[in-house]
Amino acid sequence: MLKSTFRGLALGAAASLSLSAGPAFGWSLEEAAKPYAGTTVDVVFLLRPGYEAAEQMLPEFEEATGIKINIIKHPYENALGEQVRDFVAGGDLDIALIDLVWIGNFAENEWIVPLDKFTSDPALADPALDIDDFFPLVLNAFGAWNGTVYGLPFDNYSGLLFYNSCMLKDAGFDGPPKTWAELKDVYGPALTKDGKYAFALQSKRNETQSADSFARMLWPFGGSFLDDKFKSNLLSAESQAGLQFRQDLMQYMPEGIVAYDHAETVNALAQGDVAMITEWSAFYSTLTSPETSTLGDCFGVAPEPTGPAGRKPALGGFSLAVASQADADEQAAAYLFIQWVTSKANAKRYLELGGVPARQSVYKLPGVAEEYQYVEALVESWQEGVPEFRPRFAEWPEITEIVQEWGTKIMLGDVSIEEGAAELGKRMEAVLEDAGYYAGDKPLAQ
Amino acid sequence: MKSGGVSRLTVLGFLGPAVLSLALIGIVPLAFAIYTSLHKYQLTNLRRTPFLGLENYQTVLSDPVFWDAMQRTMTLLVIVLPLQILFGMGIALLLHRPGLGFLKTLTRLSLVVPMATTYAVVGLLGQIMFNLKYGVVNQLIGFLGFDPVNWIGDPTNAFIAIAFWDVWQWTPFCALVLLAGLTMVPGEIEEAARLETKKWWTILRHVQLPFLIPGLTAILILRTADTLKLFDMVFTMTRGGPGSSTELISLLIQRVGFRVFDQGLASAQAIILLIITIVLSQLYIRLIYREVQQ
Repeated sequence: MLKSTFRGLALGAAASLSLSAGPAFGWSLEEAAKPYAGTTVDVVFLLRPGYEAAEQMLPEFEEATGIKINIIKHPYENALGEQVRDFVAGGDLDIALIDLVWIGNFAENEWIVPLDKFTSDPALADPALDIDDFFPLVLNAFGAWNGTVYGLPFDNYSGLLFYNSCMLKDAGFDGPPKTWAELKDVYGPALTKDGKYAFALQSKRNETQSADSFARMLWPFGGSFLDDKFKSNLLSAESQAGLQFRQDLMQYMPEGIVAYDHAETVNALAQGDVAMITEWSAFYSTLTSPETSTLGDCFGVAPEPTGPAGRKPALGGFSLAVASQADADEQAAAYLFIQWVTSKANAKRYLELGGVPARQSVYKLPGVAEEYQYVEALVESWQEGVPEFRPRFAEWPEITEIVQEWGTKIMLGDVSIEEGAAELGKRMEAVLEDAGYYAGDKPLAQ
Repeated sequence: MKSGGVSRLTVLGFLGPAVLSLALIGIVPLAFAIYTSLHKYQLTNLRRTPFLGLENYQTVLSDPVFWDAMQRTMTLLVIVLPLQILFGMGIALLLHRPGLGFLKTLTRLSLVVPMATTYAVVGLLGQIMFNLKYGVVNQLIGFLGFDPVNWIGDPTNAFIAIAFWDVWQWTPFCALVLLAGLTMVPGEIEEAARLETKKWWTILRHVQLPFLIPGLTAILILRTADTLKLFDMVFTMTRGGPGSSTELISLLIQRVGFRVFDQGLASAQAIILLIITIVLSQLYIRLIYREVQQ
């Protein structure tokens, strides 16, 4: 079904291409934006490198179009609440910034507009849109829900293994571990000494616990949150193995790892306190900048290690979609901005400024792979990820709270892995029952 | 029609805006909270808001998570309030002693600083100062020859850290209120008492304490209400973690209301908290304030 929607979008773009095309075909951003000059578009941005990159590119768009982009900045933890309140109250936001786990929620509430409304409009659709150029996994996971594409991938992450190659070399390793088992059993004991630790797994009780810690250990071991009937799969042998692995791995992590968020974890590697971390690709610029990292030539990056079920790395990221509550002019202006900022033409610049584009073509450009060490690992990760790394349905905000609470309790040893997983599963199923999945009121889509 | 020489219109003109503002700011949101607490009011699904009656209240009252959070909040209250009063009383008595005028003025001014610091800033400072590796608290502990303490990452230590921080921030408030009470004691009575006995405790118990009771009652009511709804500092410092070790009742309500988006359940929790606060305040007034009235 998703494929047919993508095909529809591609056809829409092709149709618009045949009617009016880019500079060579008579379509230009300036012309398309003329009716909307003076329109203000409100959008939420996060305090992260990808957004700073887009912000630096903005003057060019505003000058070309006369459209004003009004950025409202929030830390990640506030972004969902702020947007939900705005959409419920019929507020001012014209663009929705959608974490992949929010898309079900936003789409089911009809807060966002399907993309084909714009891609099928020859006056708005850039003939060079080339939707197939986005990594299919990323477009599917970040921008699509239940077969319909709503948003275009904007701030894109995959989990990567960042490491201190000097620490590894000093301990006698030529390169990073290939498997999770190797990381724990071989690298763990060798690198944990003299107040230094082999590994840090960010596990703070917020989305970090759910996405970066709990889910990261489920999938490579063959586990998952739910089975195909939407019942808890956390007591399966595979899920239990993953959670047990995390517990065993903690002996090679710094004390108080349950209080580590992204900042503490990245900083621990950047300051040489830990040898390896698995973090989002977005932190590449932080770890390579001399202003924020002491790693220098010791910096190394690789795909996440594999487990018994394969690599299945952490997958996260954001798309931008047009908000339903915006009026027609604002919607058109919002679409033009989304199309422009995620375009193939701007991908290289976005990359150079610190963003991570989801365009396949940019990573094939000469010199890119050499200049950005993470490219190879990132591209490999985006071939092997799972869209439902965290279920993307509307109930995720409720379920993630349960995962955060019980995932942390398991790590602290307040409950056993089995008890914690059982309780977590029971509560998760209660939420899904209440939502009507088991009564057949909602499709089993995640 | 006149009332005490002032026309009813004038009274209405002066009081009306204040009453209306209070109603809009205080009563309307409260009424709306009561309304939502009686409904299924999921912010992400407002197309279906069925009337639930008291079901949300039943859910809250039978939810161990709610009672765990309540127990943590009460534990914090029972720990910090006596400490704040004790330290506050000590500071007030020191500042009440004659002499060292300039130093006392300086101390009085310094006491305002913790209170004037925004809760959220206090929490952020705590997050940095109690950091296991880079925090100044562990640096100081290190100078004394002790190993660093995992403040934020350990459940018990995190609770101790927020209790310490709350005591630091609000002891000055107690000190200033009690100092104000001490200045109300007529000088000649206090002087006469000092001639009668040299025991400071006797003077405090029989001469100064009666003048301190109104202030103490105010401290008890205000600090109890503040501790029951303590949010910003804990949220920015520990976010309720690790696990649930510092998830106080206000953090639970925020989590349910704004992260799970179940406004109905969160409103029921908030109303129950309001009732508990009112009951405790009434209890203080009846038990303590009555003593001074008799």
